[in-house]
Amino acid sequence: MQNETGKSKLMWLVIDLIVLLYAFIPVFWIISLSLKDSATLNDGNYFPRSITFESYQQIFANNDFTRALINSIGICLIATFIALLLGTFAAYAVARLQFPGKKIIVGMSLMVSMFPQIALVTPLFRIETAVGIFDTWLGLIIPYITFAMPLAIYTLSAFFREIPWELEKAAKMDGATPFQAFRQVIAPLAMPGVFTTAILVFISCWNDFLFALSLTSTSAARTVPAAMSYFQGATTFEKPTGPIAAAAVVITIPIVIFVLLFQRRIVAGLTSGAVKG
Amino acid sequence: MSPVAQNPTKNPLATGPAKPSRMQRAGAWSRRMPLLPALIFVILLTQIPFVTTIVISFMKWNAYYPDEIVFAGLSNFVKVFTDVNARQAILVTIILTVSVVVISLLLGLGAALLLDHSFPGRGIVRTMMITPFLVVPVAAALLWKHALYNPVYGLFNGLLRLVFGENAPQPDWISEHPLWAVIVAIVWQWTPFMMLIILAGLQSRPLDVVEAARIDGATGRQIFTHMTLPHLRPFMELAALLGAINIVQNFDHVFTITSGGLGTANLPYYIYQTFYTAHDYGRASAAGVIVVIGTIIIATFALRTVFTIFNEETR
Repeated sequence: MQNETGKSKLMWLVIDLIVLLYAFIPVFWIISLSLKDSATLNDGNYFPRSITFESYQQIFANNDFTRALINSIGICLIATFIALLLGTFAAYAVARLQFPGKKIIVGMSLMVSMFPQIALVTPLFRIETAVGIFDTWLGLIIPYITFAMPLAIYTLSAFFREIPWELEKAAKMDGATPFQAFRQVIAPLAMPGVFTTAILVFISCWNDFLFALSLTSTSAARTVPAAMSYFQGATTFEKPTGPIAAAAVVITIPIVIFVLLFQRRIVAGLTSGAVKG
Repeated sequence: MSPVAQNPTKNPLATGPAKPSRMQRAGAWSRRMPLLPALIFVILLTQIPFVTTIVISFMKWNAYYPDEIVFAGLSNFVKVFTDVNARQAILVTIILTVSVVVISLLLGLGAALLLDHSFPGRGIVRTMMITPFLVVPVAAALLWKHALYNPVYGLFNGLLRLVFGENAPQPDWISEHPLWAVIVAIVWQWTPFMMLIILAGLQSRPLDVVEAARIDGATGRQIFTHMTLPHLRPFMELAALLGAINIVQNFDHVFTITSGGLGTANLPYYIYQTFYTAHDYGRASAAGVIVVIGTIIIATFALRTVFTIFNEETR
């Protein structure tokens, strides 16, 4: 593959273009829609003739949307933090310590991550209404932690396995307790992995729709994905395509920025978590 | 795990139980300690609601008749399996899952094979390929519904007009092919995931052996069918199983694109509707239990594959 001939270069260019078409054209189209004004929305031009931020102004003037954005950010940050805190300890045990029943425990946590959400939504709804946390931040944070934790545990333990073990052993020989060895030696080495996992966990909470739709009833705790499904135009006759496009762009942008900034790590995290179990 | 002895520096604790250790007894539990908070939390929060589901699935419980909550035996399960809508939902779930997994696996394999070569712009192309997987699913579903499928300003009909002129056919994609509209949108989102796992498999392939085969005169096609594909098989199985587990549960796309109408309601949507619209908690729970059993069956295969790959990698 060292000597690229002109012909194969052309072939790769074509392939690049096909991939671009496949992955990016739809995304670009929605950005374009979000920048058109309501009069030119249907003109079918791929590039908007005149760029307007009308749709963005409209959604940010909408209290339900801004409230949902705050809910999304707050709920996802808190859930990510707690899932990571507990998940780090668990992953450390899975990756570094040997004890009977380890394989069963790992298998069980993987099993939980595959547990169908829909089977939990209905009982959670009943339990949460009974306890009084339905339609609150807590009512979403708790199920998010539950589903994020197995993801955190197996992504983190894949990263932890790569950490040079000798260092911890050396620390222990110098008299450190297992906890000290963890906090002072392993934790700094583990930071990149923890950080990557944090992004993946955050994305999984951020993307959730089913819980957000089923366990909220007002804008008190409704997150953006659920709020979007309630989107209506300014008047009942107006199709809310512009605002929907703008909202889709707004909630996707943070994820795309994360991915562009930490691309290699995220790919490593996704594959190691999935493949190495 | 037996070959660990050959590589003692990599996993020294594996040899731990063999040599006598003072803190072994106490250690066994203190080693489990860090696991406990996470484990207890996860198990409590998934299993209590699940047990609740199982209990409710055996009860006659409809919110419209609050005084008639009684034990109903298997009647909810019988209702689910005899209800035309429920049977349709089970069928749709199977069609949806199988077609999405097969199509996205093939596309993912193609993309992974392309990205395994080095070529200018590979990094950028890979990033772009991953993007669909990371777009918020509801936003992606809305994107397909409004920006692509829409008969008036959707991209597809716009392209048709561009190619065939003003008299181009302008189909209403969603109402004419509702199930395919949903399938294609999910395939778009899941192909990158399949690609990532297959790519990880491709890159773990022993290249020296491939090189040796090439020197011995094997053609590219022979290498692909006799070496690459067999090596990729566990990875593709894993990708297919993990994908299947997620797609069986798909709710976002069905809810957003068709609202379960036009014969696209799958099991999760059926459960959602039975619970929130019909308020038949018993029947919704019975359907939930069926989804769980289905998922556990797929997940068991998935876990087996995970451990196979894992054991091969540590070997």
